Amino acid sequence: MKWWQIKKRNADLERELQSDLELEEEEQRDLGMPNEQARSAARRAFGNTTLIREQAHEAWGLALLERLGQDIRYATRQLWRSPGFSVVVVLMLALGIGATTAIFTLVYDVMLRPLPFAQADRLVTVEEIAAEWSNIYPTLPVSANHFTFWQQHNRSFDAMAVMRQGSLPLGAEGRPLQVGVLSTTPGIFSVLQVQPSLGRAFNVSEAQPGNDHVAILMYDLWREQFGSDPAIAGKTIRLNGFPYTVVGVMPRSFRMPAVQTLATIGDTNRPLPIGILEPLAFSKDDLAEEMGDLNYFGLARLKAGVSVAAATADLDALQHTISVNLPADEKATLSIALTPFQQQLVGNNRKPLLILLAAVAGLLLVGCVNVTNLLLARAVGQKQQIAVAAALGARGAEMLRMALRETAVLAVVGGGLGILLAAAIVPAMQRYLPPALDFRGPLHLDWAGAGCALFLALLATLLAGAAPAWMVSRTAPLEVLHSEARLASEPRASRRIRRILVGIEVAVSVTLVLMTGLLTASVVKLMSVDRGFTTERTITATIDLPMQSYPDKQHRVAFYREVLGRMDRLPGVESAAITSVLPLTGDSWGDMARVDGDTRPVTQLPLESFRWVSPDYFSTIHQQLIAGQFFTSSDWGKSLALVSQKTAKTLWPGRSPIGQHFSRGDPGEKPFTVVGVVADAHTISLSKPDPMLIYVPYWYRCEPGAGLIVRTRQDPAEMADAIRKTIWSVDRSVPVPAVRALGGVVADSVANQRFEMDLLLLFASSALFLAGLGVYGVVTYSVVQRSREIGLRIALGAQRASIYRLVLRDGLLPVALGAIAGIALAFGSARLVSSLLFQVNPYDPALAFAAVCILILVGTTACLLPARRAAAVEPMQALRTE
Amino acid sequence: MTKETQQRMAVLQGTLDMLILRTLLYGPAHGHHVGKHIQRTTNEFLQMQHGSLYPALHRLEKRGWVVSKWETAPDRNREFKYYRLTEKGRKQLVVEESQWKQMAEAVARVMWPAAEES
Repeated sequence: MKWWQIKKRNADLERELQSDLELEEEEQRDLGMPNEQARSAARRAFGNTTLIREQAHEAWGLALLERLGQDIRYATRQLWRSPGFSVVVVLMLALGIGATTAIFTLVYDVMLRPLPFAQADRLVTVEEIAAEWSNIYPTLPVSANHFTFWQQHNRSFDAMAVMRQGSLPLGAEGRPLQVGVLSTTPGIFSVLQVQPSLGRAFNVSEAQPGNDHVAILMYDLWREQFGSDPAIAGKTIRLNGFPYTVVGVMPRSFRMPAVQTLATIGDTNRPLPIGILEPLAFSKDDLAEEMGDLNYFGLARLKAGVSVAAATADLDALQHTISVNLPADEKATLSIALTPFQQQLVGNNRKPLLILLAAVAGLLLVGCVNVTNLLLARAVGQKQQIAVAAALGARGAEMLRMALRETAVLAVVGGGLGILLAAAIVPAMQRYLPPALDFRGPLHLDWAGAGCALFLALLATLLAGAAPAWMVSRTAPLEVLHSEARLASEPRASRRIRRILVGIEVAVSVTLVLMTGLLTASVVKLMSVDRGFTTERTITATIDLPMQSYPDKQHRVAFYREVLGRMDRLPGVESAAITSVLPLTGDSWGDMARVDGDTRPVTQLPLESFRWVSPDYFSTIHQQLIAGQFFTSSDWGKSLALVSQKTAKTLWPGRSPIGQHFSRGDPGEKPFTVVGVVADAHTISLSKPDPMLIYVPYWYRCEPGAGLIVRTRQDPAEMADAIRKTIWSVDRSVPVPAVRALGGVVADSVANQRFEMDLLLLFASSALFLAGLGVYGVVTYSVVQRSREIGLRIALGAQRASIYRLVLRDGLLPVALGAIAGIALAFGSARLVSSLLFQVNPYDPALAFAAVCILILVGTTACLLPARRAAAVEPMQALRTE
Repeated sequence: MTKETQQRMAVLQGTLDMLILRTLLYGPAHGHHVGKHIQRTTNEFLQMQHGSLYPALHRLEKRGWVVSKWETAPDRNREFKYYRLTEKGRKQLVVEESQWKQMAEAVARVMWPAAEES
């Protein structure tokens, strides 16, 4: 029933009663009664009209609603009378619920929300395992050769596809734009069960070299770059310099996560969002590589009813067939790793997110505990009132309702504000989403989040209201009413509960502070680790050369040589270099080095990370030369190499590597001569030393995608424009999307850890503040309660100092016990965090000690105010207030 | 609610609906009228509680056994809320009546077994 209907019915009932009452009155008068008597007789006959109204409401089924309304009105009135208390409680709950909801939304979005594909639970990623390399690479991307074989012979999949993500220049002369491109086999449309909303999907013949210059646009790119042209299908665009025919546009709802292969696996930088799909066409050479070309991200749709285990067994059998037929010098033991797509995307983001969720739940718990404490104090204050109610015959259920209604109103208001807070925070967390998971579009608070907030509000009501409700339900009216109100002190039970509560919040706070300390120390160590290169006054740019005008190495090398030459002549530039991959943006090229005399099969050769660089690379990023020399421009064309210390030690143990030779697999190629050894560094991940690295000159190998590094003599920010202009002065058609300081690249590589640290810092300081507030509340309350006793002590000659001691001991005991419990809790869960730490021991005694000290400090500060108040008690006054 | 000192009884729980429906069989009536009629017919033996009468009328209306309408009384120049029996209400009255009969007979059989034998 709607409220206006209720109103109407009420008015109707009122009118009915009134008219009948008047009738009764008239009848009485007709019997000869005087006016006044007639009226009261009629009233008497009617009885209690309020009761009639209530019973009529009951007949309408309104009683429950009415009682609820009454409760809300009553509770609101009560709370209105103590605005300070109400505001503090509501804010605490809003903060706790809002923060928890926001983090929950993030966690839900990342880990629980089904991927936006049909029957997404049947999607699995496919990776290969080569036993020989599994110590370095636990899993490997898929090879075209193997993929083709699986596709022909598997019995477990509806569809399979392999793909690779990159970026290419879009557009012709003068307006180059770098767009993310997903090169994929046509199977992807069946795997994801999605079709273009305009035009058509790729067909099989378009996955052949020569027919592959067709493109499907993503909705956003179509809208932004082509003005949502409805006739786009069949038109020609320029991609990579070549003309491509657009065959379709993907639906607006289609979103594709960034796919990671070895080349991008370490890259914590945001990949360009995919704007274009193009067919992945394998050349004859690609397909012939039986143990190379492990480059593709594999995605497959399981047949209905086929389990991951069964499919793994199926593909493992095929892998065995491939292994057996490998040529002798490429022997490898292959198997397969299938992972549910979502799980693969979440990857190692799972643990930090769960820790954040636990931390924020801890904060909420501390908030709830504080609210409980405040409510308990309030319940004790209202003891008289409750006792009167109990004495007047209030039933147990009614007493409970009485105790919970204020808490419920507070929780509902707090929860409502919390939802608003979460709605404000959530969009700001978008940029903290791990790159692989940031593909669903804008993050916002949805029903799942709101439901979470509601649930938390309910939970908070029960948690925070339970203790006071228990107190109330145990109220013995006689006892309370007999004791003189002023003399009544807090019951022992409630005092004990309050102290335990303080202990709990201190324990949670200590755990949070310690965790934050560990993570902060970890990030500090990570940032200050000797990474083997420096970032001052250094800026970087990524470059994508259009394949059409730079079809081969010669063209590209010429371009870079020209760019580097002009760059060097720029005023303010100290040095400039080009490299295959910028530091801390991934690893792109793995290969096997065969030292002279090594005759093992290729798969047993040591695996190294290769980089191609220009001669000034090392001096530009200040990577140290340990032995020998760098290559110089005068070595042009020679097959030289620099190796890292680790490579030198592994390949030529006990010998000087200078002058030694090695070759990459290809026997027909001229071997490399090692000219120098450079220091080991952290260029793939800050948190671990690089694997074996080999640097070759860019005249040996030069790909279309590269990173430019420039060290300047002045503020590098001022150089960004000059760098773009210099590149464009060589060729207008080369896109230069991002010019960034190298320091920024380094900082971004630990962005996730920083995000976690920042949030934990926020949670921990909030928890500290709340714990301090809790201690303050409890101690102040007990000082007020004991003021007579304290007055007596002072009257009997106690020193003010001993009063301080008394209050401090009283207040700090639960803090100390809580702190110990908290450290135990933190140490107990140390194993959970240890994998997130870098060079920090989760049992670090100094940090644990510091965390305890911080809590004791906060606790002491919180005790000092009430202690001063206690010491200032005037004995005469305290004793006189009987 | 019953005052035992008085020689009156509150209407038995569950029979009030039936009595109201039966009263309305004579034609539309307002609440006061219904109450008075029951009281008068039983020679003031059944004491009508207004506290149960009005909720009962509303309950019957909610179940669709009666409908109400504000109408001017023929003898007075004032509007009263008149309740009128519906077809559904008539059927309900038959049901309740037969139930009551069965009930009364059952009670009678227990209370006065001899009368049954004769």
